[in-house]
Amino acid sequence: MSSPSDRLRQAWIQARQALAAAPGGPVPSPGGMDLPDLDRPPPVAALPRTGLAAMSRCINCGLCALVVRRAGYTRLPDLPGAYLRDPGLLQAAVADLEGGEPSAEALAAAAAVCPVGVPVEEVAAAVRRAAHGSPPPRPGEG
Amino acid sequence: MSQSEPPRGLHDVIVIGGGITGAGVGRDLALRGLSVLLVERGDWGGGASTELLHGGARSAELDRDEAGRLQRVAGHLARRCVAMVPSLPDGGPGLDAIESALRGSRQCERLTGDEARRLEPGLPAHVAAALTVVDWSVDGHRLAWANVLDAARAGARALNHTRAVALLRDGAAVVGVRLRGPDGARSEVRARVVVNAAGPRAPEVAALAGATLRLRSTRHVQVVYDRQIAAVAISADAVDGREVRLVPHGGATFLGAVAGDHHGDLDALEVLPGDVDHLLQAAERVLPAIREHRPVRARAAVRPAPFRWRTPADALLRRFEVIEHDRRDGVAGLVTVVGGPVAQYRLAAERAADAVCARLGGGARAAAVDRPLPGGNGVAPPVRALAAEHGITALAAARILGRHGAEAPEVLQDPRRGRLVCRCEALTEAELVHAARHEQVRTLADAFRRVGLAAGPCAGAACVERAAEVLGQELGWSPSQRREAGRDYLTGAWRGRAPVLDRWGWAQEELAYGARRGWPGGL
Repeated sequence: MSSPSDRLRQAWIQARQALAAAPGGPVPSPGGMDLPDLDRPPPVAALPRTGLAAMSRCINCGLCALVVRRAGYTRLPDLPGAYLRDPGLLQAAVADLEGGEPSAEALAAAAAVCPVGVPVEEVAAAVRRAAHGSPPPRPGEG
Repeated sequence: MSQSEPPRGLHDVIVIGGGITGAGVGRDLALRGLSVLLVERGDWGGGASTELLHGGARSAELDRDEAGRLQRVAGHLARRCVAMVPSLPDGGPGLDAIESALRGSRQCERLTGDEARRLEPGLPAHVAAALTVVDWSVDGHRLAWANVLDAARAGARALNHTRAVALLRDGAAVVGVRLRGPDGARSEVRARVVVNAAGPRAPEVAALAGATLRLRSTRHVQVVYDRQIAAVAISADAVDGREVRLVPHGGATFLGAVAGDHHGDLDALEVLPGDVDHLLQAAERVLPAIREHRPVRARAAVRPAPFRWRTPADALLRRFEVIEHDRRDGVAGLVTVVGGPVAQYRLAAERAADAVCARLGGGARAAAVDRPLPGGNGVAPPVRALAAEHGITALAAARILGRHGAEAPEVLQDPRRGRLVCRCEALTEAELVHAARHEQVRTLADAFRRVGLAAGPCAGAACVERAAEVLGQELGWSPSQRREAGRDYLTGAWRGRAPVLDRWGWAQEELAYGARRGWPGGL
């Protein structure tokens, strides 16, 4: 009898086989833009569900950027406002996130001015994890 | 692709309607070497939405040939995803029944509740099992445009914002179309055959030729979130048994369902608060946190389907129909094509084109079958290389690759245009200018459809003014026209936002209008 993780893996493998059986086989990803890999759960699965809804409150007002201008090369409000919208692109866009991170204190100060309660520290951590391809959460996590 | 001169003269074919089917017909006919004029009263693919190609995990009517073909010729517009039907303890079709229906057509996998929650951690604890299949989501707006662009490259003339106000007749036969352009100028164009691909307006076009066409028009409602809020596409049951689908695609999630037959005014489609509640009520059973997410807009669309009695509205859309009016109504020179799912649009277009060619006495062979759509051929540069070469962010490069595929470098030819116009969508000035010059973007709403302007969380607050400046420079708008364009966009968008506003939505709305009054909305 197979284990749960075996069955999960089998689901992904069968999905890939189904795809490969389609005429022409799998589609090459367009020019290096990595599409979600079916060998692993999609990147959004790795985002914490408690914070995911709070992140969607971001209205990109820019107030947090008055406290902390950038995270890496990226304007701070663009993390929830642009980068977290499609976690599948985060690994491709990781170059934008290099260049140093704000301190935890600075992020907390930025979160304090957010008028809609976006958890800025959690956003920064989630972006970092997704961009660097963190493993999917274990059952019961997240 | 210029459209400055009004169309004149004789064409082989005029196609009325620039939805995905009409665009596909125009492309197919142009690739067969015919002279084609394609006209659309609004914008290309204006009624399109993001779709699951295979119809989700419950659809056994998999057209593997067509869906596989679409993935091959336009891989940059389609995204692989897993579609899931969670099993709930209190009803809905059992997984056994679904699995049995899928047997022989689609490979599916049964998961335990824990396994399903590993894929989508937002599923509730009482999901005991789930069924998954592979599906593909596709950007309907870009797909329609890619067909129009390919038709134009094959010699077709394509005019958006141009209405067919009358059919020219010679006795009973249709011999052309009277058009009204975006500036109100009228012109008459003659053609040997006219194709009616006007979607839900097909009966109006047929009536211009004295033919009667009955359709079952179905109303679709979608609530749109500005980001992916689930890892997989999820099916749920609405209270009335209809299927509700949650589809993450790109930087958005689409929660939608067929809302029944439509009998009202096609120019006054609106989403009612009850429509939104109907969707959320179904979705929260499989994704309990969904009401905590902030939807950014809702939309209603009407899709045509062949008329059938005693058929549920959501089952109607699985077939298309080509109507030869000379045989059916004694009206020569008119062919209508209606209905069908997006996965079959090319097949519907081919059948309609075959009917046209039969009337023109030619045996031109279909050439569109495996020809890549623009951007779907060749090798595009990697994200990082594209970003470095053109001095744009990697996210902007990834977005451009997703919309333009292998043609992405052509979008970025002006090195001074790397600045972001819309930060939420990582839309560069270069791409917006390219859209105005080469993709027939004439309004800010066209830019929303073509390149995702204002599709993100700010809903235009931080970008519409700037985008109006950029587009205005390209299109020759005066300063007051630019202000009007911004106001028109926000006013139009309000119709979609009003049904889904919550407390955070109101904060965003204040910001959008504050920005227009000179507040520093887009810091």
